Amino acid sequence: MACASTSASATWNMSSLRSAIPPIHARSASSVHLSTGPSSSRLKFSSSKLLHSFVGLAPLHPLLSLSSPDSTSFEHCFTVIDNGGRFFAMRHGKRVPKLNRPPDQRRALLRALTTQLLKHGRIKTTRARASAMRKYVDKMVTLAKDGSLHKRRQALGFIYEKEIVHALFAEVEERYGDRNGGYTRIIRTLPRRGDNAPMAYIELV
Amino acid sequence: MSRDRDPLVVGRVIGDVLNPFTRSVELRITYGNREVNNGWDFRPSQIVNQPRVDIGGDDLRTFYTLIMVDPDAPSPSDSNLREYLHWLVTDIPATTGASFGREIVCYESPRPSMGIHRLVFVLFRQLGRQTVYPPGWRQNFITRDFAELYNLGSPVAAVYFNCQRESGTGGRRL
Repeated sequence: MACASTSASATWNMSSLRSAIPPIHARSASSVHLSTGPSSSRLKFSSSKLLHSFVGLAPLHPLLSLSSPDSTSFEHCFTVIDNGGRFFAMRHGKRVPKLNRPPDQRRALLRALTTQLLKHGRIKTTRARASAMRKYVDKMVTLAKDGSLHKRRQALGFIYEKEIVHALFAEVEERYGDRNGGYTRIIRTLPRRGDNAPMAYIELV
Repeated sequence: MSRDRDPLVVGRVIGDVLNPFTRSVELRITYGNREVNNGWDFRPSQIVNQPRVDIGGDDLRTFYTLIMVDPDAPSPSDSNLREYLHWLVTDIPATTGASFGREIVCYESPRPSMGIHRLVFVLFRQLGRQTVYPPGWRQNFITRDFAELYNLGSPVAAVYFNCQRESGTGGRRL
């Protein structure tokens, strides 16, 4: 379509082009379609179809660039998208456990679970939560093993109760001094009666 | 992770309390109408009274000792009173129950205050009668040392269950 001629063009007359190009929503739909094509997925070409000279590596917001009529310089409209302007409808390869919660609640849940595990030593939750927690518990124990003030403050920013942080920093040396990693153990158990959720005990090793 | 492992190993009973052993005698423990299986969850209200114990074996002349300990006292994250002794019954003849033995440390109903505690029943075979004596106190009871002290050898059977505070899970959950 229009993209094929982008790299070949040097200068174009904007008015004739703007009359020829399709409206906004179709353009963004077509940009999605084109950016997921195999040839363009490896390229860092911007998703703009503005029939302009090659803008470079910064992906342009299609709506922003359309609104300004004097569309000569776009360097100030840098919007950073993490995966280089590519977005996919699928979850392939993403290993973050979502736990059926939005990100803020997920973080709060994991903070609460690690606080309770460090406090009680063994807790019983669902298997998904237990296996999601492991990373954060290990991270807390690693911070405690380092022991410096900065790490202690980082731990205080994660764990909800400060007494637990201080107790952890005090006793981690004698408890986990020899062990490198793997400070938790998960034991699967019978499912929960109310909703048949698979349960597990997670305990500090 | 789908290795077939003994629940006693998975629950670290073998490791914290016992050494690896091969079970040779059948041990069945029942609280009320619910039998104790490895890793099940019981409430303090269900384990108030001492359970019904049935021991297998074949010869009425061999005697067994039953020990009930809690290795997670006072809390699993800080078990400084490791192995609190709850019950100690000796001279139990084979094929009978704990009511036929001599209860030298009376049954104390477990009431964990913090965390989920494991409660372990261990069965040892005695060499003779009246060879086992009670310890001075219940806490810091090391089962391994006790077995070595009275020549009980390796355990012949063990089972464990979990127990937490009555309102531990919040609301009506099994």
